[in-house]
Amino acid sequence: MSKPILIVGGGPSGLAAAHALTSVGQRVVLIEKAERLGGAPILSGYAKLVPSGEWAKDAIGGMVRRVEEDRQAEVHLSSTVKSFSGAPGEFDVELADGKRLQAAAAILCTGFTHFDSLNKPEWGFGTFPDVVTTAQVEQMISSGKGVRCPSDGRKPQRVAILLCVGSRDRQIGREWCSKICCTVSANIAMEIREELPECHVYVYYMDIRTFGLYETKYYWRSQEEFKVKYIKARIAEVTSDGQKLIVKGEDTLVKRPITIPFDMVVHAIGMDPNVENKTIAAVFGVTLETHGFLARGNSYANTAETSRAGVFVAGAATGPETIDDSIAQGHAAAARALALVRPAQASA
Amino acid sequence: MPIHEKSLIRPENLKTHEQLVVDGVDVSGHWSTFIQSRVVTDYNEALQEEIAALPGGEYIHRCWQCGSCTNACTVNAVNPDFNPRYWIYLVRMGMESELLRDKDIIWQCVSCNKCTYACPRDVAPEGVMKALSHWLELKGHTRKSPSMIFDEVFTDQVIERGRIEEGRLIQRFFRRTGQALGQDWLIEMGRRLLRRLPLGLLLRLGLAGVHAPRTRGWARSRAALREYVAQEQARQRRALGLDDLIEGARRDAAGITHG
Repeated sequence: MSKPILIVGGGPSGLAAAHALTSVGQRVVLIEKAERLGGAPILSGYAKLVPSGEWAKDAIGGMVRRVEEDRQAEVHLSSTVKSFSGAPGEFDVELADGKRLQAAAAILCTGFTHFDSLNKPEWGFGTFPDVVTTAQVEQMISSGKGVRCPSDGRKPQRVAILLCVGSRDRQIGREWCSKICCTVSANIAMEIREELPECHVYVYYMDIRTFGLYETKYYWRSQEEFKVKYIKARIAEVTSDGQKLIVKGEDTLVKRPITIPFDMVVHAIGMDPNVENKTIAAVFGVTLETHGFLARGNSYANTAETSRAGVFVAGAATGPETIDDSIAQGHAAAARALALVRPAQASA
Repeated sequence: MPIHEKSLIRPENLKTHEQLVVDGVDVSGHWSTFIQSRVVTDYNEALQEEIAALPGGEYIHRCWQCGSCTNACTVNAVNPDFNPRYWIYLVRMGMESELLRDKDIIWQCVSCNKCTYACPRDVAPEGVMKALSHWLELKGHTRKSPSMIFDEVFTDQVIERGRIEEGRLIQRFFRRTGQALGQDWLIEMGRRLLRRLPLGLLLRLGLAGVHAPRTRGWARSRAALREYVAQEQARQRRALGLDDLIEGARRDAAGITHG
């Protein structure tokens, strides 16, 4: 019996890779740091996913159950890899709890870390309770409690969503676009307008990057159907007058400074490299690219490669990624790992 | 201050005291010049809905500020301050005071519709310009423009008689806009008509002037049109909150105190 393939991370890409491998009879060992599978969509309590509109607990939850019920998948929760050595086909793996196992190959599906808004103190997160993140609004929606101001539980009359919080910001060493926050913000804006039709939602942006087909379903629809307003302004600071949050900036289209009162301010937080990427890179002997994400070994011929033979990568570990593309990359990495483990046999 | 930003200073925001002494120091004239803040401190969220409630303004919320309308604009080519893209933005964001600064040029739209063809989002900016002019009039910010008066005279006559009669139309239009009937171009036209002597036409004009022709069996159409126009006007006034204003004024006049 061949050795299993090690999958590190039980988010969308890891779950996809695991299922793809076991469905062709390949055993896998799935290592998950958290106490449960599902990755960011489940652990951070996402509500309705882009672009399907399915609830995360149904869509990703289904993928979790599929792996949990799979006898060919050995799942280790609350677990991390301590050491990883050997060569393709015969890697030696030691887990943090001392358990040892062998693997023919490894797929790193270690994902990302949400940007911590405390790193942008001028935007009021951590200072004012009604300044929240997109992840928190997702939780308000997915919990069924609805969008409410954390300070006193009231329904907001006016909400500002600030884009590019922790993205495209050289001041804090984050030059990259996190790719999905524009679309997620448009989605959240529509969710708020649907739940609270009296609440006006303003999106403050530098550019809108609802790329590809998201344009129609999110950017256009949020304006045409839900009357969400987009203002080209990078907000300078969020303060408070004791009653309301005061959002200050420049409305660049009228060339005028603005200080507008809001009930709630939402940070559209970006995707940082997984905070443990340096450890991950050291343990698995792979390199990181300039921003701190896992580097791909090859951009075209084998996109799942890392710098080390036999170690593959998929999903947001390599940079900001959507859920559906992460899943596709999980499948792709599974195919590449399988090609290594079971090279094509000469036809009889 | 960078030179381009000086253009942002509005003359009315410059405050200067001709005579001013502070703590014994004479700061008269330009020594006391002070620039008032031009910060926008709130949005009027009703504004977009009001414009959208008027004919032509329905699609204003689609605008994403690309500037195609202003680029295509006939009037903008002559007057760079005529900027439909900008006004659409002000309405969408509810910057009413900013919009009112341009009330004396907004009505200058010539309805060439080049913007409507250029707009990638089907905002129909020409319609928005009509709605804006209409809104300014209804709210009492501007007087009725001559073209609006012409439209009214024209429409009144069509509704009244089911047809128009040019002589009567121009007479009423001149009267309502305070223009003399004996205008040079009109006298010249009459003179040339007389010189060529198209008898039949002159006769018809004369007859029409006397007994005002009307379309047969028009009464029912007239009633239906009047009813529709009245409904539409009432709807627009409601959308703009004008009935509340009038009601408020009436109660004030009657000495009823509010609240």
